[in-house]
Amino acid sequence: MKRSISLIIALMLLLSFVLPTQAAGGKVTYHGQANGFVFAPGTDYSLTDLFPNFKSVMPGDSLTQTITVKNDAAKNIKVKIYLRSLGADADSADFLSKLHLTVKTSEKNKMAYMFDAAADQTAGLTDWVYLGTLYSGGTVNLDVTLDVPVELGNEYSDRIGYIDWEFMVEEFETDPTDPFPPQTGDDGFWWIVVCAACAVIVIFFIFRRKREKEEEKVNFAQ
Amino acid sequence: MLGKIKLKIMTIALIAVILTFFSQGTLAYYSTVGNATNVVTSGSIRFIIHEKTDQGTDFPKEGVYIIPGDIVSKRVSIENDCAHPFYLRVKIVYGIDSKELSAEDCFKLNINEELWEFHDGWYYYTGIVKPGETTPNVFSHVEIVGSKVDNSYIGKTLTLSVIAHAVQSENNPITDNNTYTASGWPKE
Repeated sequence: MKRSISLIIALMLLLSFVLPTQAAGGKVTYHGQANGFVFAPGTDYSLTDLFPNFKSVMPGDSLTQTITVKNDAAKNIKVKIYLRSLGADADSADFLSKLHLTVKTSEKNKMAYMFDAAADQTAGLTDWVYLGTLYSGGTVNLDVTLDVPVELGNEYSDRIGYIDWEFMVEEFETDPTDPFPPQTGDDGFWWIVVCAACAVIVIFFIFRRKREKEEEKVNFAQ
Repeated sequence: MLGKIKLKIMTIALIAVILTFFSQGTLAYYSTVGNATNVVTSGSIRFIIHEKTDQGTDFPKEGVYIIPGDIVSKRVSIENDCAHPFYLRVKIVYGIDSKELSAEDCFKLNINEELWEFHDGWYYYTGIVKPGETTPNVFSHVEIVGSKVDNSYIGKTLTLSVIAHAVQSENNPITDNNTYTASGWPKE
């Protein structure tokens, strides 16, 4: 019994190492025409807030927020996804004008920023910027960096700044000429790991039970 | 002959109709827009000055009656009441409700100078005060100097005020561990 408990604990530990940890990232999920977009995590300030990392910022801070945009629509749907900024609301503009914001997609070897300006501006996101075509389950990551100047004075402490972003999708049905949808999420892989671990546990118990029965038979024969 | 032409026209028309359907199928799409309101907030530095007696009770706001030579229990410490660590400095300011008399040298404080380093009129705490932490006492007792407080002070009100300034320690390097070298100390 002790051995089996130890084995289960060891497996659970193994799983805890290999399973991905949930980062405090923003998530934009498109659920199809009927359900539209869902924004997470949201905060006390805004239910659709994608910037959980940009709270209580201090002079000299340089903070990064990753935002994952995902197409979670039906299998036969692919979407072209776009982003634009509506800028800061009037009451926030003064505060946000002191901060610097950059936005880029996380693609390898792609360093160009789609936005690189004061946080109150719309700049490179004034018009719709194409983020990519996503098949069902496909994702694209955005890296958002906020730089707070070290010179920011006390008059900007305890301020709140609101920045409105709009996401748009154009929805298409997939057709046979489309490339095979890319393996985007890690979900499938991790489900395999979990299933494999469960299978190991079940097999262990089957063998253990079998051995116990054999031992019982031997004892009975004696 | 006419029949063949008609057939050709019909065929071309049919192809055109089919192509039209296909092209519509390719171009037609739905679009959806979602709005996210993202929020940036700035932090701040806040602290609470605690003034306690030896018994742990708050030092009376109305003050205490004193006579020369008294040793008054007054434990002064500062608590970090925000989400950010900070450097801290305090200044002791003396006052009296008289134009003729001075409050200077009337008080003798047992300031913990190992932890509170004197520089340019301020006592700088030598460490960082983390969120939720309270500093060790700046001082714990005040002696009323008998040789200074004579009969001319009878009926007067002497005041001893503790002024504190804090500045963020994040992104704020100091030189040779001297906290007074931090940037951003508020102006006096």
